[in-house]
Amino acid sequence: MAKKHKIFVQPLSNNHMTKTKTAPKWLAILLSAFLPGLGQAFQRRIRTGLYIFLAFATSLAVVFWDRGYTGAESSSWMIIPALIWLWNIFNVAFFPKASSALIPVFLWLILAYGVGAKVTEFNLPALFQNVGRSQTMIREILHPDFVQPLTEKRTGFSEIESPCSSALKAPNHSTGDVTVTILQPCANNGDIITIEGSGFWPNESVTVAWHIPIGPQAMSTTVMSDAQGNVKLDWQVLPIVYSNAPDPSIPQIHRVVLTQEHPSGGIELSSVGGYVLQGISETLGLAFLSTIVGALFAIPFGFLAARNLMTGSPIGTLFYFIIRTILNITRSIEALIMAIIFVIIVGLGPFPGMIALTIHTTAALGKLYSEVIEGIDAGPIEAIRATGANWLQVVRFAVIPQIVPSFTALTIYRWDINVRSSTIIGFVGGGGIGFFLWQWIILQDFRAVGSSFFAIAVVVIIMDFLSAQIRERLV
Amino acid sequence: MLKVEHLTKVYPGGTVALKDLSFEVEDGEFLVVIGLSGSGKSTLLRCINRLIDPTEGKITMDGADITAAKGAELRHIRRQIGMIFQHFNLVKRSSVMTNVLNGRLGYLNPWLSTMGIFPAEEKKRAQQALARLGIEDKVHSRADELSGGQQQRVGIARTLMQEPKLILADEPVASLDPVLAHSILQYLEQLNKDDKVTVICSLHYLDLIQRYATRVIGLKDGVKVFEGLPSEINRVKFKEIYGEEAQDIRATALE
Repeated sequence: MAKKHKIFVQPLSNNHMTKTKTAPKWLAILLSAFLPGLGQAFQRRIRTGLYIFLAFATSLAVVFWDRGYTGAESSSWMIIPALIWLWNIFNVAFFPKASSALIPVFLWLILAYGVGAKVTEFNLPALFQNVGRSQTMIREILHPDFVQPLTEKRTGFSEIESPCSSALKAPNHSTGDVTVTILQPCANNGDIITIEGSGFWPNESVTVAWHIPIGPQAMSTTVMSDAQGNVKLDWQVLPIVYSNAPDPSIPQIHRVVLTQEHPSGGIELSSVGGYVLQGISETLGLAFLSTIVGALFAIPFGFLAARNLMTGSPIGTLFYFIIRTILNITRSIEALIMAIIFVIIVGLGPFPGMIALTIHTTAALGKLYSEVIEGIDAGPIEAIRATGANWLQVVRFAVIPQIVPSFTALTIYRWDINVRSSTIIGFVGGGGIGFFLWQWIILQDFRAVGSSFFAIAVVVIIMDFLSAQIRERLV
Repeated sequence: MLKVEHLTKVYPGGTVALKDLSFEVEDGEFLVVIGLSGSGKSTLLRCINRLIDPTEGKITMDGADITAAKGAELRHIRRQIGMIFQHFNLVKRSSVMTNVLNGRLGYLNPWLSTMGIFPAEEKKRAQQALARLGIEDKVHSRADELSGGQQQRVGIARTLMQEPKLILADEPVASLDPVLAHSILQYLEQLNKDDKVTVICSLHYLDLIQRYATRVIGLKDGVKVFEGLPSEINRVKFKEIYGEEAQDIRATALE
């Protein structure tokens, strides 16, 4: 061996010596001018030559591509390949032994950053100039709407005829302690009516609203109640109260409603809060179910995709490769894409999201399980077999104790992942909090958007913490 | 008691691990098998309890043909043959108790035992086995919390549960220090002398061989190159078995 080695090396090093000595510099320069890197290669600096050539060729290609992309006649980036070309000749002429290609690589990086910035429409000033645009949105997002103070209500109303037809006074209506009286029996357009009310909470605002016979309220105002809980108000009747009437000259009975809302201490879930809670529970349930079902399906796949179990016979090896390929392909399809397909098949809601996540979980866990099975220690299996145990007992006492902790840890980790995925899956109609979030984004209800952000963050942080804790204990 | 006739094992890759090996073991013997790593010691021990199926040849124990046994019959033969391993082969995450009870699986109802139900008398037997090996206080520890010597003692306790007629020990002390090596081999010797259990053990250290063996078989490349009393192994024989470069290695070099 040693002898052969010597014979092989000797002539090569001789050859090397003679070539470097006799290599004419002018020829190397000419070669480099013709093709950057060739001169270096001629000087036996193959690697440096290759780097220079690659830097030159790729920078030139990028410049041409950029010109085609922008449609410009010429590109100022042409300076980079030109500089590389010049440096290359300089290098051949003055540093025939240096092996560094730092400068062309550096030039190439400048080009890459420059072109990259152009392609991404890089515009840093915009980031600062237009911050104001997002202010309202961010303020609303940071002011989430989960709960509202619990309120009590006191309300009463009185009827009034308008325009006037007779002197008949409409009756009063009261709710509880509240009494509302209008001193005038009727009112015409522009009249001033006097409203009196009693039985309200003292020193708090009361909403006064004019309800027309059909349709919405026409006018409203607020007034403060006095220390005894009485209200007195002069109010002018405006033409708007006749806007919905078929004929404004026909007398009709209108209503003046006085309402007072009073915080009763305590809070209740707002309607957005209710939806967030519903969405989160749907998301958690969806993630939980798809993890459990996916894990069950993944167990047989895990065994079928384990190299140490399957590659004993040719048929087993074939199965191993088929199962591995199926798992890899399925795993590489994002659950979101699958959800889009299943939304079309089974309709909107949590169900398509659950199917998509289950399939993705099966593939991902199948692969991970198979790796656990591949990693088990054959020693205990051998030992249990040697005691005269049957196949079932060997699996129960030698295989399962080795795989169960890892399987459980991986499954919990997957649940954690699924909670995060299922929020996104809602965006394509897969149910859960994501579905609500998507609608609120479209409706520009940013307080609700903020609420869902906070809810998702809290759930993900809790899940992350819990799964880390449980996994730590298992492994 | 145990009769090995013309045993040959060729692995699928074409490696010949054992070549036409024949020998007999009498009841109550402490037979030591020596030879370099890869000389076929482990293969031989695993052929005796059929963890490996021999290619050719026949092994009989008390007249029963081990090589022809199948299914339940094979499992009944296996439960009479205990095995002790170099790396202990305990189920690391299970408790010491479970590991010891595992030795009894061949005798128990497979369905009940699979559900983890063990009769009270078997638990008592396991306690006694651990007490005999001086580790009864470790019953509830996880197997991987124990030191190497303790783990090997759990391995022996597991074997005791089988009430074996024969114990196969595959380099039982190769992962242990010299003091522990003696301690473990003394337990095997005790079983051999007091319980009349035949022991077939592979060892490397000359002083251990001379101290514990009643008879020695030397293997080289799957062929039997020596059979005789431990006192017959001198430096020349040792070099024949272990090759020219071998030094006389002793477990207790500093005495």
